[in-house]
Amino acid sequence: MNDTAVEAGLDKQNGVTLGRILGRGTVGQAEEGSDGVMRATIRIPEDELVYEPGIVIMPHAGTLELTFVNDDKNTHCAVLPSNGDYKFIWLVNSSKGTATLDLDGPGYYWYGSRSGNDEGRGLTAAIVVGGDAPPEARIDRPPQPRP
Amino acid sequence: MATDYVDAGQAVDNSSLSGIVGSAPPVTDGLTYERILNARSEPQNWLTYYGAYDGQRYSPLDQINKENIKQLTPAWAFQCGSVGLHSGKSTYSFEASPLVVDGIMYVSGWDGWVWALDARTGSMLWQYRTASAFDVSLCCGNVNRGVALAEGRVFVTTLASHIIALDAETGKKIWDTTYGDVRAGESGTMAPLIVKDMVIAGSSGGEFGNRGHLEAFNRETGERVWRTYMVPKPGEPGSETWPDDGEAWQRGGGNCWVTPTYDPELNLIYQGTGNPCPDFDGAVREGDNLHTDSGVAVDADTGEIKSHFQYTPHDVWDYDSTMEHILFDLDGQKLAAHFDKNGFLYILDRTTMDPVRVAPFVDRIDWGEVDEKGNVTPKVFPDKEGDPVHFWPGPAGAKEWTHACYSPQTELLYAPVQDVGATATRRRREFKESIPYWGAGVAVDLDDMAGSISAFDPRTGQERWRWSNDIPMCSSVLATGGGLVFAGEPTGEFNALDAESGDLLWQFQCGSGHHSSPCSFSIDGRQYIAAPTGWGAWTEGFLPGMLGAGQGSALFAFALPE
Repeated sequence: MNDTAVEAGLDKQNGVTLGRILGRGTVGQAEEGSDGVMRATIRIPEDELVYEPGIVIMPHAGTLELTFVNDDKNTHCAVLPSNGDYKFIWLVNSSKGTATLDLDGPGYYWYGSRSGNDEGRGLTAAIVVGGDAPPEARIDRPPQPRP
Repeated sequence: MATDYVDAGQAVDNSSLSGIVGSAPPVTDGLTYERILNARSEPQNWLTYYGAYDGQRYSPLDQINKENIKQLTPAWAFQCGSVGLHSGKSTYSFEASPLVVDGIMYVSGWDGWVWALDARTGSMLWQYRTASAFDVSLCCGNVNRGVALAEGRVFVTTLASHIIALDAETGKKIWDTTYGDVRAGESGTMAPLIVKDMVIAGSSGGEFGNRGHLEAFNRETGERVWRTYMVPKPGEPGSETWPDDGEAWQRGGGNCWVTPTYDPELNLIYQGTGNPCPDFDGAVREGDNLHTDSGVAVDADTGEIKSHFQYTPHDVWDYDSTMEHILFDLDGQKLAAHFDKNGFLYILDRTTMDPVRVAPFVDRIDWGEVDEKGNVTPKVFPDKEGDPVHFWPGPAGAKEWTHACYSPQTELLYAPVQDVGATATRRRREFKESIPYWGAGVAVDLDDMAGSISAFDPRTGQERWRWSNDIPMCSSVLATGGGLVFAGEPTGEFNALDAESGDLLWQFQCGSGHHSSPCSFSIDGRQYIAAPTGWGAWTEGFLPGMLGAGQGSALFAFALPE
């Protein structure tokens, strides 16, 4: 794959830039359990200052349970969106914890680590919520052309 | 070697890591519809968005008056700021009108925030935040104009077009109803309105070519009671004002993004409607385009449109008429006053929506002429593809959404006036759902502008006095029984003017511009004036000359020293 950001050295710490350009990384799918809760695991690998996967996709709005694993040799955290209040989880070196989020959709949300300038160095990631507005909320008109 | 992980536990609510109390006293349990009907009889409270259903934004309180105003001082300030990456980071602002019941203030902010505050001290009692997607469609800022309160519940709309009910004691969500489609560019920004056992909300998203609607929900359950579209389908009344060939009405606009007023005796909700779409390319929607740019009287029980008046037929200047219809009785007539974006003040008979009086309220108007019966003759408008056309007022209007007021003490109307033009160049574009659908390139003037707080006599439509400013005034005005008119400036000053003369009597620099609605209340006999401040929103539309001004997020409460 032709990836200009990678070729330009932007997809790493202290390459061309100081931190990794946001929006890079892998995409993961949250898996829906029989209880209706969607789940995914997010890992912070050593010295990369990223959440992996950088994008998690929920197939629809609802409850998302994220398991965070900090495999880095530095402390980070995550400030996450959720209906009601932001959620905060502290992730010291080699720790593991969970965050349960309630999110509407469709749309996508950013979350990040507020430790130091983790957010700017690359520890900012996205949660994507797929789906549509319920039929009764939609406008009474024929289907419209989209981009 | 396997890692021995430390248990990081479960993520916690961010507010648990603050000084928040977590609950409010049950002051709204007895807040019935009947109490809201008589809101002005309890001047110590501000029970509904405009202070009362009539939209007058008048407080009878007079402890703060012309004789002692110079002693007015900040009693407290509340701030929030912003967290992480969120939508409209450059344009979030405080646009709300706070509500107060028995010493507890309820107010909404940007990015899904709702707060309950101790109105005596400003301390936060609880907060609720709707998680708001980064990519939500916003035309005009990450904003919310306020909440509604009734019988133990707080109601608020969200940027993702939900209306939610919260427990007024704990801030916990009770019900959540989606009432618009984000994929169509719809959103929710207005303060809802309690009417009987219903809560009323309208759709935002007027720049995205959707079909604006107003609806009512059961307060207990969140179930829809009625929905009324402002642009009719073929065959419905008013459809003859849209082309027969069938697509324009589907994207016709007419959004209802400002809180209506309500006459309980007539059982009518007075809703202003927004611009038609595409805003500036009228050739794809020939006809008057009902019910866009209109004042619409809607039956509160059924949502049926009973009567209307269209301020700017076939609008090609983006002259939304969503702004308030101030209800007042004068000389035996039941009237409604509406300061329209198009630069004219209309006094309507609110039983029929027929104009009684029409008069200009801003110095420069060249888009068209409006006679005393409200008939429009367009003069200057974008017409030819690629041809720049300058006109006054610009698309933010001679008065933006921020509210005028009426004082029954002086029998005068007071309006925040914007005198700034714009240049629109028609650029026809194809409609694509969720993409802004203007049909023009538009630039609002960066200079050669002015503003004022102006007082008007509704009996004549004439200006009685004017307090002039170098730049447009774009914050709501509040009149009080102390003979004062309060209004905030884009440069941060919060002013008190003499309601009779317009003289500036007091001023306080709040640190960031005003684009919201101040209110007044009292606790144990001490009167407060509350002013949310913080510059942002669609500044490029109403005042790009101040686009670089600093953002803020402080709610000030002023009082006389104890």
